[in-house]
Amino acid sequence: MRKFLDFLRSMRLALILIAYLAATGVLATLVPQGREPEFYAGAYPKLVADLILSSGFSSFFRSWLFVLPSFLFFANLSACTMTRLLRELRKTGRRRHGPDILHVGLMLLVVGAVLTFSGRKEGFVRLAEGDAVELPDGRLLRLDRFEFLRYGDGRPKEWTSQVSVLKDGKTEREAFPIRVNNPLKLGRLSIYQTSHSVERALVVRLAEAPSGQAVERSLAQGEEFEAGGATLFFMAPDGGSGKALVRLKDAKGASSVLKLGPGEAAGPFLVASFGERDLTGLEAVVDPGYYVVLAALVLVGLGTFLAFIQKLKDQTE
Amino acid sequence: MNSLPTIAFALIALSAAVQAVFLLKGGGRKDRASRWLLLAAALLLLATSVARSVEIGFPALTGTFESLVFYAALVCLVVFAYRAQKRLAYLPLVGFGATVFALVLLAVASSPLAPKAALAPIPALKSGWLVLHVSFTFVGEAFFVASFVSALAFLLSKDEKRKLDYDRLTYTSIALGFPVFTAGALIFGAIWAERAWGSWWSWDPKETWALVTWLVYAFYLHIRLTRRRKGALPAVAAVVGFLCTLFTFLGVNYLLPGLHSYG
Repeated sequence: MRKFLDFLRSMRLALILIAYLAATGVLATLVPQGREPEFYAGAYPKLVADLILSSGFSSFFRSWLFVLPSFLFFANLSACTMTRLLRELRKTGRRRHGPDILHVGLMLLVVGAVLTFSGRKEGFVRLAEGDAVELPDGRLLRLDRFEFLRYGDGRPKEWTSQVSVLKDGKTEREAFPIRVNNPLKLGRLSIYQTSHSVERALVVRLAEAPSGQAVERSLAQGEEFEAGGATLFFMAPDGGSGKALVRLKDAKGASSVLKLGPGEAAGPFLVASFGERDLTGLEAVVDPGYYVVLAALVLVGLGTFLAFIQKLKDQTE
Repeated sequence: MNSLPTIAFALIALSAAVQAVFLLKGGGRKDRASRWLLLAAALLLLATSVARSVEIGFPALTGTFESLVFYAALVCLVVFAYRAQKRLAYLPLVGFGATVFALVLLAVASSPLAPKAALAPIPALKSGWLVLHVSFTFVGEAFFVASFVSALAFLLSKDEKRKLDYDRLTYTSIALGFPVFTAGALIFGAIWAERAWGSWWSWDPKETWALVTWLVYAFYLHIRLTRRRKGALPAVAAVVGFLCTLFTFLGVNYLLPGLHSYG
């Protein structure tokens, strides 16, 4: 047992594991990751492809080849840190805690990574202006405005999704601009600007709208609008005719397929416009490891600089 | 403004020539001109970076050409500072090697491998964290250039006293560069990734290679701690670590596309 503990906290084990993680990390960048088995069968000789697939090297950073040595490294680091910390605390002269802080930061990083890996939740949504989506805590996220700016040469300059957050009908956050590098933080939930797309939208309004009812809806392909017992379903664009193929189901349940263009009506519905609209792609993330990783990064930075400054002091004196 | 890097290249080449003469004659300390040539070149290169920053309205660190110019300026500054300091023995071969490396960086910058157009950044690159990430990483790597040359000199030298000096310089350069590299490549890089993509780490090839580089230098620092100056292993680790920085910077861009394929 004693021998095992000595080995666990030995620098020799640390060096072996560091070298192993570095070498296998390099290999993992040379072997394409996360592809289908057929890819490896086609790209490598059979023996190599079998080895990659059976060992889990095709998803190296999730395989036991990486996870097991990483946990062993964590154990080694913990044992080394405890040993070193106790030794430093017993010292009567100047103590050098830089490496301890750095090592604790690295341990915390592993803890944060485990929390993130096991508890991270993410969801993706596409919204057009005016659309709203319910967040996991019951709040509503509404896209007020979307702006896509380009440079003169056509490259993207900025995507901005201006959103409002509503709770129980009241506005909690207004006109927050979500951009790449500027996520919206709502407690543990973060919302990121991730993509942009364009789709054909059919804008339909009620020919005779009763007061107090939403009179206009923007329909994407596959969406429907129900009013007064009738339903209008947007099936697809009708080729290049500038019209939309829709299925109208009237109040009596009779169904018919029609081609509608701007200004044309079907039942209680009137097509206001039919054209392209911008959609923003937003990703919502809940990461239980967020603050642990952040604290770990601060400790790693602090520990590294402290270790360096202490070493410099030692050399100066 | 386009001529500034060319003038800087000429100054660095002149500095390398002066250093070569003193290297062959012996007595590198008597060479008083080469370091000022390097300082002038560094200032010209930094002026190039500032001019491009003004042109694109963002710190010019987002393209390969801009990164090479900035990196070369930092290497020149490190050699200048090394030549100016008094605590470490001045080893002319290390100053000369690092100067030649700065020349190589500028030669690559002038090649078709590095597009010269000054382009404003795409949305993912518009971040203060990116600026910290790139600038700190290159500052760390500029110190690693000195460690690489001195580690190579250690491996090639037969003179035991010289080997001690080379070892000390290798260690000091890595001890200086490692904290800055850690902050830049790993910490600021991770924070930027979280802000831009919602994930601290994606195992993108460039991220993986940056981690591999960090692990190799961590290996160096630990092996040096246990073995002191015995044997060639620490020097070999210092050489491998630097080759990793090169592959992370250029090799990954051209051979292993991923999130960082823009620069």
